[in-house]
Amino acid sequence: MKLELQVEFARPSFQLAVDLHLDGNALGVFGPSGAGKTTLLHLLSGLLRPRAGHITLDGDVLFDSARRIHVPPHRRRIGLVFQDARLFPHLSVEGNLRYGERLLPAGERRIRFHEVVELLEIDSLLKRPMQHLSGGERQRVALGRALLASPRLLLLDEPLSSLDHRLKAQILPYLRRVHQALGVPLLIVSHDLREILHLTDRLVVLDHGQVIGQGRYLELAQDPRASGILRTAGLLNVFRLRPVEHCREHGITLFAFADAPADAETVVASYQDGGMAEIDAVLRPEDIALALERVERISIRNQLPGEIVNILHADGRILCVVHVGVDLLVEITYQALETLGLGPGKRVWCLFKAHALQQLETAAPADAAQPAPPIPAGVLRQGPA
Amino acid sequence: MPFGLGPEEWAALRLSATVAFWCAAAVVLPGTLCAWLLARKQFVGKGLLDILLHLPLVLPPVAVGYLLLILFGTHGPIGGWLQHAFHIEIVFTWKAAVLASAVVSFPLMLRSARISIELVDRRLEEAARTLGASSLRTLLTITLPLSLPGIFAGMVLAFARSLGEFGATIIVAGNILGETQTLPLALYSLLQRPGGEGGALRLVAISILLSYGALALSELVAQRLRRVVGVER
Repeated sequence: MKLELQVEFARPSFQLAVDLHLDGNALGVFGPSGAGKTTLLHLLSGLLRPRAGHITLDGDVLFDSARRIHVPPHRRRIGLVFQDARLFPHLSVEGNLRYGERLLPAGERRIRFHEVVELLEIDSLLKRPMQHLSGGERQRVALGRALLASPRLLLLDEPLSSLDHRLKAQILPYLRRVHQALGVPLLIVSHDLREILHLTDRLVVLDHGQVIGQGRYLELAQDPRASGILRTAGLLNVFRLRPVEHCREHGITLFAFADAPADAETVVASYQDGGMAEIDAVLRPEDIALALERVERISIRNQLPGEIVNILHADGRILCVVHVGVDLLVEITYQALETLGLGPGKRVWCLFKAHALQQLETAAPADAAQPAPPIPAGVLRQGPA
Repeated sequence: MPFGLGPEEWAALRLSATVAFWCAAAVVLPGTLCAWLLARKQFVGKGLLDILLHLPLVLPPVAVGYLLLILFGTHGPIGGWLQHAFHIEIVFTWKAAVLASAVVSFPLMLRSARISIELVDRRLEEAARTLGASSLRTLLTITLPLSLPGIFAGMVLAFARSLGEFGATIIVAGNILGETQTLPLALYSLLQRPGGEGGALRLVAISILLSYGALALSELVAQRLRRVVGVER
């Protein structure tokens, strides 16, 4: 997906001027409320018309003020999943799902009905009246409905913000699954970094109608312009873990970083018996401590050796980027920086307690109907034996 | 004759019901279309059109009748053309009674449909647009089905208004026994006649029954519609 967007849009109390050249299969737009995220999506989908500028998607001009082109929303083939599911109350679940599909000539239906129903596990809902769906079910139907219109690009407008924490954890895996299985390019908008990072680490940071940063999450976290906003939202380390071994007696699982090179010696363990599915783990930078050597006489089992890649100063806080197979953000105090004599290239150990490691959600939605279990998780360094 | 009604009274009753039915049928399409225009579209002269369409509500019905007589008379601009091109005669036939009540009840249809269209969540229409529906298809598959209860209510109002229509009808359709004499006209005629009070009272009773029945039926249908449409208001 290649998206070029250079638009100006004005409302009496709000101005948006954006110039973006995006490509990739999944993109996140992050920003605080009122940053213009929803406006941006409405401009893309054609529900709003920019005052000036141009929009092209994969070479097709969708809007061009100079050439007076404004492709109406129904011809753009850009799907939009709204914050509130916006299901049609007078249609059944199946009627909703098939609404967009029916408008497509049979030859252009790239996504099959049974495929979507299966992926989103909405088989049992098909005949149910709309009023009897729960919030999470509604959002799944809305997602399915948008997919069945076979969009070239699917926009997600805070698709989870109307759901409580437990439901979010249920929907996230579906989003990821759908994206991977159907290969529909996604653009997700959210004020919650976790939701975005679950799908992609490629971000656009928006504030007051302006783009203040764009790139990979870890780069942006180190970018002086964008990091302020990211910091107010709370920086996070999000990484994917692959289970290696499950020890039933002690209720722990050994994990490896899924995105690190195969020979990375660090193995992570968790107390939950989560089966053998990959999980997304979240670790806050302020929950990690740095040591210059392995600490033997301490209860913390999670000790990862690594190398400092970068050190950032902001508002009296210090942020270290430590490479431990993946890049970790670690927040320390200025005193610690001085005392330990830290600097780029220095070898350090990252220490954190079991409870600091949280699971983003259960990655395999097999038991999505049940509430996600609380996850006391821990990380172990398995020394080179 | 059942209920102790004379043939004249029966004729009036039948005619009133027929005229009211055709009146409701005649206003539903133009009324809904204008309602949609006023509720959803922005255009130059919208305010003027709005007032113009509501005019029959405030004009004296006799004035409306007189205007219709001028327009649809055999020598009038529209009536003359209809006569010439299709050999259709309007004035002083039952069709004129339909025309008169349709014009007078049009604003009621319009208002009812407009309110229910305005109540349809625009965000649902936006969702339909992003799913590939043109604005016409969105109107037909989302907006209209969801405003069906209000459109139906407008038809009932038009039906009821037609049952009571007097002023415009008597001017443009006349008061011809068995042909254009609807219930209110028959009632009026009976009152003009010495000894007609008994018949007049019977007609009043019939009018009450008819209106009551129509309103009760409409409430039933409206309830069902609201359930089908999935809107609880």
